[in-house]
Amino acid sequence: MATNEKVDVVIVGAGASASVFACVLAKAGKKVVMLEQGPDWHLEDLISSEIWGRRLKTVAPVSLEGKDRLGYSYNAGWGSGGSAMHYFAMFPRLLPSDFDMKSRYGRGLDWPFAYDDLAPYYDRVAEDIGISGDAEAESRWRPKGKPYPMPPIKSFRHGDLWLKGFEALGITMARSTVAINSTEYKGRPACIYDGWCDTGCPTGALANPHMAYLGEARKKGAELRPFSSVTRVLTNPAGDKVTGVEYYDQKHERQVQEASLVILAAFVAQNPRLLLNSATDKHPNGLANRNGLVGRYIMAHTGATIWGLFDEADVQNYMGVVGPMHWSYDRYGKTARKDAFGSILWHCSPALKPNDIGGIANSRNDLFGQALVDFIKRGSRQLSRVQAFGEELPNADNRLELIGQKDAFGFPMAKITHSYDKDAIGVWEQATEEGLAIAKAAGAKESWAIRPAPTIHMAGGTAMGKSAADSVANGFGQTHEIGNLWISGVTLFPTEGAVNPTYTIYAMSLRAAEHLAANWSTIAS
Amino acid sequence: MSETNRRAVMLGGALGALAFMVEGREVWLTPRQAHAEGVVMRVLDAGEVETLEAMGETLLPGARKAGIANFVDHQLVVPPGDCLLMARIANVLPPFANFYHAALGGIEKASQAAHGKRFAALTGAEQYDFVDRLRQNKIEGWQGPPPPFVYFLLRHDAVDVTYGTVEGIESLGIPYMAHILPEQRW
Repeated sequence: MATNEKVDVVIVGAGASASVFACVLAKAGKKVVMLEQGPDWHLEDLISSEIWGRRLKTVAPVSLEGKDRLGYSYNAGWGSGGSAMHYFAMFPRLLPSDFDMKSRYGRGLDWPFAYDDLAPYYDRVAEDIGISGDAEAESRWRPKGKPYPMPPIKSFRHGDLWLKGFEALGITMARSTVAINSTEYKGRPACIYDGWCDTGCPTGALANPHMAYLGEARKKGAELRPFSSVTRVLTNPAGDKVTGVEYYDQKHERQVQEASLVILAAFVAQNPRLLLNSATDKHPNGLANRNGLVGRYIMAHTGATIWGLFDEADVQNYMGVVGPMHWSYDRYGKTARKDAFGSILWHCSPALKPNDIGGIANSRNDLFGQALVDFIKRGSRQLSRVQAFGEELPNADNRLELIGQKDAFGFPMAKITHSYDKDAIGVWEQATEEGLAIAKAAGAKESWAIRPAPTIHMAGGTAMGKSAADSVANGFGQTHEIGNLWISGVTLFPTEGAVNPTYTIYAMSLRAAEHLAANWSTIAS
Repeated sequence: MSETNRRAVMLGGALGALAFMVEGREVWLTPRQAHAEGVVMRVLDAGEVETLEAMGETLLPGARKAGIANFVDHQLVVPPGDCLLMARIANVLPPFANFYHAALGGIEKASQAAHGKRFAALTGAEQYDFVDRLRQNKIEGWQGPPPPFVYFLLRHDAVDVTYGTVEGIESLGIPYMAHILPEQRW
């Protein structure tokens, strides 16, 4: 075993959230080490191929159970940049009603802060990483903030052709907001609309963490150690402080990294698993888990997914970005649907490739043989898609638990049990019916919906809140039980709204990291 | 910089290859080339290769010559973290070879039970019917991973190897538009 020189901060993970903390703290003069389970990616590693893009996703670290098993590996990341290396860079904000659902509707959980607390950080992230969009159009649905630094990205026919359908259903669409350059920005080029965003954008037009906070963090001296698998958070004998982490390096040799402060910035399976695997006699249920909430409230988005085949000779569906060109919060109201509570966000439409989960072939999983060949040929120029993300309420029974099976280092693996409730399914079913009507009104010659409801995005597992009785951490991610043990990222979400999580992850991480830097002497001492 | 020039710059980026073992030496080949040259498999046995190729061809005509068996076999040799199979992102727990042995074995057992013949020896109509029942989880006495999941993954492998490549996409008449070409035109 090797014990490394003590540092100020050790961060578990090197994704979107980790990169913000590393950047802010390194700029504040702190010695920062990031421990990343996978490789350290560079732009030249990113290959435009759905097959090769799978390297950016994790190999299943968890057993999946329940009625609606999570599509975990597809959503998770592996390597520096985390899942934001293969994300679609779709950057919707949560709305004010997402932050106080328990108080406002008696459903779900409240966040420990309000939209107004986060809004300035949304605006700053837009400037920091480069976001293209139309803030004026968004102000129809949210409090007005600063304009985005770049105008919206280009639209293509495969997105524009849906607008007639949305209009017919009374849904106002706006140009989408994406972390992709529509113009040159801070020395990074504009997008060339090749539709390979999710395989890792090697041009730098898409704001993956390397292009923004992670790059800055490393310039300021933050160290990233790839192939470092963290197995436990270490505590002092009294159990009132963490002292660092134990990890295994690429040679599977045990290492200890001591630190004044530990930040868990991994994904939905690993943050709670690490806390549970770090149990001691002072913390027999795991760290920060006196109330038994570590691992609970894991959520996903349903996706009402409607495909349409159009008669036009070429809808240019091989061009564009993998995120949407247009979107709408018009149906976001949580009580807008009969007998089903929760929000939805409509959006259209992605650039398509023949293969992979979101590809042309998978849109008709029932077809095979010559029928599949014929469909792929037609779909490669005439297929398009609309989708509505649907909210799932936090449910304590959707949870991660340790199991008897051990990983390569001898530590218990985890299982995640996940099932949608009747609200999530009700919202998804009604959105699906609306989507089919949109397709018909848009003039699709054939249209169909994907069933059953998929699981898109992941959130929760170490929910934050105002009270130590009903949450794991406070609004900055500081655990209620151990002051120098912090959590960051999507596992803190008490609710998920119906939007992609990364913009909110960046904004709340920036807010928390600056709070930590400003109060370092009291928090880390 | 113009878009054309920028694309050209990116095309000059890092290129690698798929390394197949040929007569004890590593040779850089596409799976299509590996199939044509009869490269020896390292994980799948001859019966499994026969079944996988017949399944691939039934699922998507062209998959056999595109090298579905060579592609899968190659990816079962590499460490899980380097694996490019759909199984990786469909939450299959490694080693992925376990899934393929169980799935292909299940197909053979079911084919023998229903027809008294190997799957590869069935008529085209029988193979089509078998796959249709596999898709719908209607194979009696099935022994193996869930049949619809077997269908899902093998179908993905067939699509990957046939249309997920530079040649495959360009065969559809649409431009590949790579920022960086995949290794060995993958």
